[in-house]
Amino acid sequence: MNMKNWILIFFLLAILCLDVNAQSKTGLGIYTDRDVYVSGETLLAKIYTPESNPSKIVYMDLVNQYGTRISGVPLETKNHQASGYLQLPDSLSSGIYQLRGYQKNTAEKVKIVREIWISNRFDGFEKNNPMKKLIGSESEPDSLTHQIKIDNLNPEYVAGTVIDADIQIEESILDKIDGNLLVAVAQTEPSFAPATFKVESSGTMEGLNEVKGMILSGTVTDKTSLQPIENSIVYLTIPDSVPGFQYYKTRTDGRFYFLINQYHVQVQAVIQCFGSTATQRLKIKLDELYAEPGTKPKYTKQAIPEALKANITRNIDVVTLQKIFSQEKLKVISAPAKKQETVPYYGKPTQTVDPQLFIDLPDFAEISRELLPGVKFRNYNNEPSIRVMNSSMQNFFEDPPLVLIDGIPIQNMNIIKSMGSSEIDRVDICQSERYYGDLRFPGVVAIYTSKADYSKIPESDQLIHIKLEVVQPPVILADPPASEPNIPDLRQVLYWNPSEIAQNKLSVKCIASSISGRYKLSVRARLKNGTIIYSEKQFEVK
Amino acid sequence: MINKIFYTILFLLAFSLAARLSAQENMNRNWDSEKIKGTRQLPYPLYHGFPYLTKNWMPGEIEFNSGEIVDSLNFRYSSYKDELVYFNQAINTQITIDKSDIKGFSFVDENGSHHIFRKFFYNDFMKGYHYFEVLSEGESDLLVYRKVNLNTVSPYKDERGVLTNMEYVPEYRYYFYTPEKGFTGVKPNQMGLVSKFVKTDQKLIRKLLRKNKISITDESGLVKAWKAIEKEGYKVVF
Repeated sequence: MNMKNWILIFFLLAILCLDVNAQSKTGLGIYTDRDVYVSGETLLAKIYTPESNPSKIVYMDLVNQYGTRISGVPLETKNHQASGYLQLPDSLSSGIYQLRGYQKNTAEKVKIVREIWISNRFDGFEKNNPMKKLIGSESEPDSLTHQIKIDNLNPEYVAGTVIDADIQIEESILDKIDGNLLVAVAQTEPSFAPATFKVESSGTMEGLNEVKGMILSGTVTDKTSLQPIENSIVYLTIPDSVPGFQYYKTRTDGRFYFLINQYHVQVQAVIQCFGSTATQRLKIKLDELYAEPGTKPKYTKQAIPEALKANITRNIDVVTLQKIFSQEKLKVISAPAKKQETVPYYGKPTQTVDPQLFIDLPDFAEISRELLPGVKFRNYNNEPSIRVMNSSMQNFFEDPPLVLIDGIPIQNMNIIKSMGSSEIDRVDICQSERYYGDLRFPGVVAIYTSKADYSKIPESDQLIHIKLEVVQPPVILADPPASEPNIPDLRQVLYWNPSEIAQNKLSVKCIASSISGRYKLSVRARLKNGTIIYSEKQFEVK
Repeated sequence: MINKIFYTILFLLAFSLAARLSAQENMNRNWDSEKIKGTRQLPYPLYHGFPYLTKNWMPGEIEFNSGEIVDSLNFRYSSYKDELVYFNQAINTQITIDKSDIKGFSFVDENGSHHIFRKFFYNDFMKGYHYFEVLSEGESDLLVYRKVNLNTVSPYKDERGVLTNMEYVPEYRYYFYTPEKGFTGVKPNQMGLVSKFVKTDQKLIRKLLRKNKISITDESGLVKAWKAIEKEGYKVVF
């Protein structure tokens, strides 16, 4: 064996070792503003994602004791860090919950879980005594550092006074910090120490990297033969006044994918496909939108400490009062401005008709005959058909047009035949041969219903309605309420900045609220080697 | 023996790499790319002259309002209809891309010249959005509207022997443009260009052109002259 071969082996082994090393430092972490909540409150969180993962979407889920996902939200990462909030449902029963963070492409392999306590606002904690604590393999523990110092923080503050603390970061560690700091001043309960751990498994298949946005995927199969269908066109519609639309031609394995990246509020989506013949029946199976619960977590029973009981009782009152005084915790920063579509995907309509401006007509055949120029809808032998005029050629297209109800394509004209004027808000007509990607539409008839609830289109194996949680817009902590003698300041989180820029000296200024108790100023950072460091100091508000 | 070990290691490394690559779900290329919206382009009548800017379909780059940039298409600009037409190979159709979706496009023509077109709103006799070619960018941009008109001419027999009296005639129009002040037309000759400046500057500009030996007889002369004038800091009067 010559020298060249030895050098080659050496380099290959070095690359392999580097890769293994890179994978061992995940730098995954999930942190919340507090550890103890009351149902109906808003939870704030920051998630660190691994440097090695190119996905820019991280999911934060609330999971109950039985491993069931209660709610969740996708967050957009910047520099492998994301922050957001979760509205805790009012109906949650008291007990331990898991806050789960993961990226969909590696969800099968690794998730980070943080334990939190949530008390129901109405039944308190009585039913959960003793409480169940999570048992899990502890993650790489965060390192308490002395290189981040918190100064000028008094041990006690009076409600309504200004807290003005300094944070000093040593030069030696400043260069090693990766991204932004998480700085928070919030109520704390030392008697409740939440567990945080990584759930790792030996999953092999990696999902798609969600680099540009969330990805919705699934498979189309033949309902009879159960075989995947190739080249079947799957449509995704987001019904709206200007509907969102995408399509995907399935691969040989029947798979399809949609990128969801233009929405910042929860949206309803419709996914559908049509058989190539009238008799062919297809079935769409969507992939799980969220990570599987995995193995059921293990718990151990512990008595609820008296201090925690007192904290819960006080917080239930605080949250009730917050609701009474309508004190909001967060202020939404306007979502990143994205160019909104003004022209629908089927193009600028040649004509738009509002049937309600005319005499009431009983069905669509009458409407098309009397009001819709260049639209021929016939119902001979109870077999409805529709054609649109090609304005440039002055004849009717031979093929049926694209017919939409509230933006959703339909092929069964029986759905529209009974629609009268009162049910229709407007009809857009395109009298030209339209193209969208590789799709050809010989004219378009887009019907927008008065109810706009697309209830006319039933769900089936070929048509699925889903509610999509989309990437959350950025939020900041709301300002303290204006100081008025009869209105208490009910904030439990006095300061929350998940994107504090790391520098030698930082100042944290906030006002102590009317809620007495123990509070904590904490500073957290991730180092470039993946280690998460923190420094914290407690004080009391009286 | 050593060779056996070497090849075994190589095999294991190759296997590990293949496993890592296959662990990631494969995707079609450009699966999430812009889906182009448009209408079928009907063929233009065959007259003398040429309705397009280029003879051939040119590869280029289209920038959409959504921010998406598509650089894998062959297209050509129809000067006659002020439309961008692309050929969809998958469905074998010429499609006029919706103007409302496009921000601009660029391509290199058969002669190697780089053309950059931007969509502007022209608020005058031809009110609406039009594609203008950007000849020079600066404080004031020099633009050209590459219009081809269908004019009536003396009757002639076309390629098929049909008697006709129409002809495609290029009638390009040049403009200075700033986002604040809008458009002002400029004729592609010395007098036309010089008249776009204040009276006190006109003599100096003529002198500058003489000194640089720039004569404005065509588009390239206009661009060259404007660049020389702009360099000296003279401002266009809108």
